[in-house]
Formats: sequence, structure tokens, C-alpha cells
Amino acid sequence: MDPVRKDEFDSEACGSLSPKSKPCPRPKPGEAAGGCSFDGAQITLLPIMDAAHLVHGPIACAGNSWESRGALSSGPSLSQYGFATDLNDSDIIFGGEKKLKESIDYIAGRFAPPAIFVYSTCVTALIGEDMDAVCKEAGERLHIPVIPVNSPGFVGSKNLGNRLAGDALLQYVIGTGEPEPGTPLGVNLIGEYNIAGEMWDIEKLMNSAGIAVTSRITGDARYKEITWAHRAKVNMVVCSRALLGLAKEMESRYGIPYFEGSFYGAKETTYSLRQMAYLMNDREMERRVDRLTEREESRLAMDLRPYRKLLKGKKAVLYTGGVKSWSVISALKELGVQVVGVGTNKSTEDDVRRIADRVGDDTEYIPEGGASRILKTVRERKADIMIAGGRNMYVAMKEQIPFIDINQERHKAYAGYEGLLRLAKELTYSLANPIWKLASSPAPWDKEAPPYDR
Amino acid sequence: MTVNRRKKPASVNPIKIGQSLGAVLALQGCYRAMPLIHGSQGCSAFPKALLTRHFREPIAVQTSALQEMDVIFDANRNLEEALNLVLSKHRPDIIGIVGTELTDVAGVDYQSLLKTYKRERNMRGGLAFSVVLPDFRGSLESGFSTTVEAMIDEMIQQVGHRGSRNVNTRQITLLPGSFLTPADVMELKEMISSFGFDVIAVPDISTSLSGHLLTGFSPLTRGGVPLDSMLQSLQSGLTIAVGASMERPARRLHNALGTPYKVFNGAMGLKATDDLLHFLHQISGEPVPLRYCWQRENLLDSMLDAHFQFAGMSVVAALEPDHLYSVSSWLEELGMEQKALIASYETPIVAGMEREVWVGDLDDAEVLGKDADLWISNSHGIAGAERIEAAFLAAGFPVWSELGAYMSVSVGYRGAMEWSNKAGDLLMRREAERREGSVRHR
Ligand code: SF4
Repeated sequence: MDPVRKDEFDSEACGSLSPKSKPCPRPKPGEAAGGCSFDGAQITLLPIMDAAHLVHGPIACAGNSWESRGALSSGPSLSQYGFATDLNDSDIIFGGEKKLKESIDYIAGRFAPPAIFVYSTCVTALIGEDMDAVCKEAGERLHIPVIPVNSPGFVGSKNLGNRLAGDALLQYVIGTGEPEPGTPLGVNLIGEYNIAGEMWDIEKLMNSAGIAVTSRITGDARYKEITWAHRAKVNMVVCSRALLGLAKEMESRYGIPYFEGSFYGAKETTYSLRQMAYLMNDREMERRVDRLTEREESRLAMDLRPYRKLLKGKKAVLYTGGVKSWSVISALKELGVQVVGVGTNKSTEDDVRRIADRVGDDTEYIPEGGASRILKTVRERKADIMIAGGRNMYVAMKEQIPFIDINQERHKAYAGYEGLLRLAKELTYSLANPIWKLASSPAPWDKEAPPYDR
Repeated sequence: MTVNRRKKPASVNPIKIGQSLGAVLALQGCYRAMPLIHGSQGCSAFPKALLTRHFREPIAVQTSALQEMDVIFDANRNLEEALNLVLSKHRPDIIGIVGTELTDVAGVDYQSLLKTYKRERNMRGGLAFSVVLPDFRGSLESGFSTTVEAMIDEMIQQVGHRGSRNVNTRQITLLPGSFLTPADVMELKEMISSFGFDVIAVPDISTSLSGHLLTGFSPLTRGGVPLDSMLQSLQSGLTIAVGASMERPARRLHNALGTPYKVFNGAMGLKATDDLLHFLHQISGEPVPLRYCWQRENLLDSMLDAHFQFAGMSVVAALEPDHLYSVSSWLEELGMEQKALIASYETPIVAGMEREVWVGDLDDAEVLGKDADLWISNSHGIAGAERIEAAFLAAGFPVWSELGAYMSVSVGYRGAMEWSNKAGDLLMRREAERREGSVRHR
């Protein structure tokens, strides 16, 4: 595979930076699914583990959402605290700015975080709180960055929220610090959230090829390292199209080349590592990557053999958001699993094109329609397994369909070579589980012939 | 005693949960129902995800999917669209429109929209009602009870046209509070029916969120109390409410139909169970079934066995108000020191407790409960419990750190026994770990 600078992504669809982009489709009342922009902003920024994340609004936005993701930390855990201004009636009437200011002071005084992110929500946006001004004033007074994240839920989808969070990083964080002397400069990983610790597998791989991670944006990140992200040599956008705008802007501002890649599947992983070395313009590194990927791939091939035998020809329906829809297809294909249906509801045109590159003609695209629509595809295509987000897990259980969780709440890491092996194992365990037989066979007394004629 | 608050501007690690989630929970206990949250997407996506995580079941809920411009110009267009779609596609028996903080602050009048909508479409046969549940008031508990009240209101209005009431004195309406698990509701139903009564629980999560493979997947609720039983419940001779927050819906039935009611504030522990069974015995004239006499002995014996474990131990509990009341009376019977009791918000029942109660969050639990041996709260409390080195007992909502938490029983003698053993085990294990730790250090 020739490493090429991928620069064909026009900002045409929702989630990328261009302001002229066609708007995200309006969610359909009565049939909408998925989180709000506030949710999206949190997904992006909460993995900055040592920062405090304060939600400005009534309790539900914070109360219902904290501790809901599987992003892990290797150290500090302040970001796992749920901070909220918890506005009540009178705050809404008289304005919540005073409470916001006091909350920021309180958090800074008690927890001494390196930075505080403040999120607006629908209500605080609606009543026109001047969050930016409060944050600015507090930041100057307290001498720590207090960063407003203007991404209230009602502006749009989760994707848009990811992007707005990226904008906040560009505006307030990236470029405000310098690396300590001696920090090896290499790659920024953008849009890798360390779900179930995937970041650690990736880092291990990169390190064994001698590629340094400069900043994690934002899985298992520390605030400081993001401030010097502009010193990296390469940006890799990992599975998050919404942050492509961030990479583009860094390219034009700081001249950092970027590429879009994935770590799902051996092929994609190898490609991503090669791409890094290529863009670093380091011959020696390229050779190291080649040696590493060859070794890893052949070891993986050995390890996978027993599972491949069992998985060959199995059919899966894949329903997940955006970029993951195509990157996971590659991983499944390598295991011999055929994707017979794939969700495209959150995919951009580019994503769909990439899906098309990776699947056969008879794969069904599931544009929208939620659980019932997915189930229909599973049934019609006689799929053996459903691969989707946690929200659909119990839908599958009710229908007794084997299931693998692929989204952010999961507890298994599937990235890299190790991850692919793990995915193969999980698929096998799930398909071979005795529960499917047990659940579908009736109780003995229901099997008996009726004792009398009815 | 008075209710205290620690002075701090921000909520740190909240236990309070948006009211609208309580509404969604209440509607899960009705068959073929659809809660429709009138707000932006996130306001339904978060509760859905959280309820799914706790009950490990698919959760029925939809949204009017408001976006910025809709809020400013015409939020009702979205609601109408959502209603059209849900009604034509899924044909629910019950639809509950849940107003959020957003519609509240924006001053959207969807109640009259619903009235016109119902009139114009000539909607009959199902229940459609709305509740206003902004998140800057109350918590899960109030959202739940307010929704049940609205549901009852709507039923009364519907049946009101049909006139005569045929009181069935052998039938009891059970109004279970939001803190009860599906298994709790089941246990209560069994206890009441063991005295010869027919019980209709409104709502009834014991048959919807208890885990069953009955009907496959549906976008509506599966299981729960069917609409005709709900309407049937208006003929009950008595209402039993469990949890002080359920008094208002019970009173509503009383005021409109004259149905007498009895409220049991707590449901946990020896005394609370004694009260319930004694009451049932008195109104039915039936003897207390043998199995409860046995269970009472079992409980007392296990409390005797365990009391060494609880002696000198202290506990911090952070829960919704009714639940806190209930758990506190059980702790009283174990003889544990109740170091700090924290409620998510203030209600008359916690304000009237004999003990000091705080309104606050899990951070308050950490500060006030410093040095406590046992920590009782939802799964959000795990980290705090670890920090103060207390044993962690999961209770309330949400609990994701345990399998089958939604099936654990806390009511009745059986529930008290289960909880006493669980708490005792945790303390025993903690003691053993500490011993090991101190040996290793030497
Ligand atoms: S949609 Fe708005 S109010 Fe609802 S959770 Fe998201 S930010 Fe909060």
C-alpha cells in the first residue's frame, strides 16, 4: 500500500469545519435518536483527565451524563468528578452568572486544577448568559485557563458538539504552552478517546516503532500537553471526522501535516503507522515501522488462526456512528466476517464512499429508523451477530441475537493488532455461548404433548 | 429536625437526577406506553442511556427533538410532528408528554396544544397527558410521583364521563414509590394478594423492567400494567401508597372518587414490614400467612447473627428522600451509627425525620461521612467510598456496578434480611482486607 497524503476530504458534510457546509439534517421529532451537542462536546473534552469540567445549567444535563463513558485514565481522575452549577428557579430568573463565577472560584480553590472547562447548556444559552465574559474574568483573576465551551444541546447533534469542542481547543488551548525541553516531538492523536484503554495499546505500538506521542487530543490527556500540540510533527485524526477541522486548522496555522486513519484491523493499523513515519519524513523510522508491522502481522495471523476458522462466513450487521462504520468493516473482513448490513445514519458522504469501498454490493445500508430497522436487517439477512452501541445491546438481547458493543460505553479495547485478536475472541465467545440454545428451547412442560384435547 | 445544607456554590458529584427521568421511569411501568420528552435530543438520550444501564433493558422514550430555532419560533410544531409520528407508527395505548426545563423557560404552552390535538383528532381509547417537569426543581422522585398523579388525573377524567362507580372492596390499588425495584414491587404485590386481595400496581415496573423475553423487542414499553387494568383500578376499595411522595396521587384518587388510602412511608426493616402486614391482616380479617411468620423469625435470627458485625460501625447514606427515610429506619434497627444522611432535595418527610438530614451531593457524603465504615448510595458513589475507605453498598439509582441490582429485594422481611446480610458481608470483607493489609505492612 502506498502511503499517500490524504487530502481529498472536502468539508462538505456535517462535522467538518467549513461554515458553508450543508447543515446537519434536522432530527426527526418522534424518531430522533442520539445525544445532543453538549454530549458531543463532553465526549471530546472529558478525557482531559486532570482538568475540572463544570456544567453550567440545571441538574439534568450533568446529573444524567456523568460517569457514562468508558474513557480510562492512567493517573489523575478529576475529570471524573461531576461538577454542576445546578441552577434552580431563582437562578434562572435572576441569572446564573454569579453562581457560575462562585462555582469556578470554588473549584479552583479546592481542587487546584490546571484548567477548568465550562459547558453551556440549553437553558443557560437560551437565557443569554455571558459565559465567555465570566470565564475570561475568572481566568485572569485566578491565573488558570477557564475555557468556555459553547455547545448547548439544542444547536444540533453530537457530531457538531465534537467539532465545537475542537474549536474551543483551537481558540483557547493549543499554542498557549511550550513543551518542556527534552520532550520528544512526534504525533498528535486526535479523536482517540481511550475507550477501554485503547490508547494504551496504540501508544505501546507507536513506542515500539520509536514514534513519540506529543499530545493526546484527548484520550487520557493532561491539560498541559494539549497546550503544546502545535509543536508536533504530524497530526493523525483517529476515527473522528468531526475533529478533522481541528487538524486542518492546525495545518494552516502551524504547518503540521495530517492524515486520517484508524486502528481497527491489522491493515488499517499498519497503514496508520506507516503514514506517520512517512509524514515525519524519517527513513529510519519507516524501516522500523516496516519491521514492526511485519512482525506483528505475522504473529497476529498465527494467533488468529483458530478463531478465523470459526468466524469464516459468519454474517454481521454493523450499526455504529460515522467513521467507525467503515473502519470496523475492515477489521471484520480480516476476520472473515461478512458485513451484510451497515448503519449510515451518522456517516458523511465520504464515510459512505469508504464503506462502499469495503463491502460487497449486496450489503444493505441502514440510513435511519433506530432499533426496529436494524432488527429487520438482521432477520432478513440472516445475520449471526449484531455489532452496535450499548443503547442497542438490550434490544438484541430481547431478540436473542448475539451482540458486541462497539461504542464508547464498552469495556473491551479493539484497537491495534492486540485489539483485533480481542475482537476475534469476543465474537467467538459471543457466538458460541450456550445461552442462545438455552434461551430458545422451551421448558420441558411446554414441550409435552397436551394431556388432553383442547 | 432541621435540614441542613453545606455552603458551596457548585454541586460536586450530584445525586440529584433530572425530574424528567422519573417521568420516563413511571411510564415504563405501563403497557404499550411511550414517554415523549418535549425538549432537545439530549434530554431524552441521556435518560434513555442511564435507565438502560441500570435496568439492562431497552427503554421506551422519544423526543420532540427541539433545535435552537424551534425553541425560539415554534416548539409546538415539533411536538405535533412527534405525536403524529408516534401515534401512526407505534399506536401506543398511553402517551405521556414530558415538558423540560427548556420548554418551561421558553414558556411553551404545550398543554393546550395537547387538548386541541386530542379534540381535533377525536382521540379516544388511549391515555394522553402532559406533565411539566423542569429540572431545576425536585429530582427523580418528584418527577415520578408527579407523573403518576397526572396519569391518574387523566384516567379519572376519561372515566368520569362514563359515570357510575362499582367499588370492589377486594381490590387494592398499589402506588409504589420510585425507589422500589421491580423485585420490590413484585414482593409488595405478593404480600398484599396473600391476604386475598386483587392488586393493581400503578405503575407496575415489576412486569416490565424485571427482565423477561416475552414479546421480543418493541419501541413501546413491554410489560407493565395494561390500560384496561389501570382504568379498572379506579374501582378499587383502597389505595396503598408506598413512599411519602406517593401520597399526592393517592389523595387525588381519594378526592375524586372517595377511595380511602393508606400511606406507608417506609418499606424496609422489621417494623415497617410488621406495620404493613398488620394493616393487611386487620383490613382483610385473614391471618398473616405462615410464610411471613417464618420470614419474620428468619429475619430476627439473621439480625441476631449479624449484630456483632454492625456494633460500633458507622454509615453514610446518600439517596433520594423517600429512599433515605426507608433505609434510615432499617439502619436504626441494625444499631449502626448514622454518621450522615444526605438527600437529593428537601421534602416534608426528610425534614420531619428525627435525625439530622443534609440536602446535598456525594461530595457532602465524602466530607460529612469521613471515617464511616459503610457507604450507601448509587454507583456514582464508588469513588467517594474508596477515598474515605468505606465499604460500598449500591442502592438507589443508577446502579451499574452490579448485575441484577434491579432485582434485589429490600422490602418485607425477606428484603431486610437480604440487605442485612449484604451489609454485614461487606463489613466483614473490609475487616479481613484491613487485617491482611496490616500484616503485609509489617
Ligand atoms: S439537550 Fe440541552 S438541556 Fe438537554 S441534556 Fe443536552 S444540553 Fe442539557
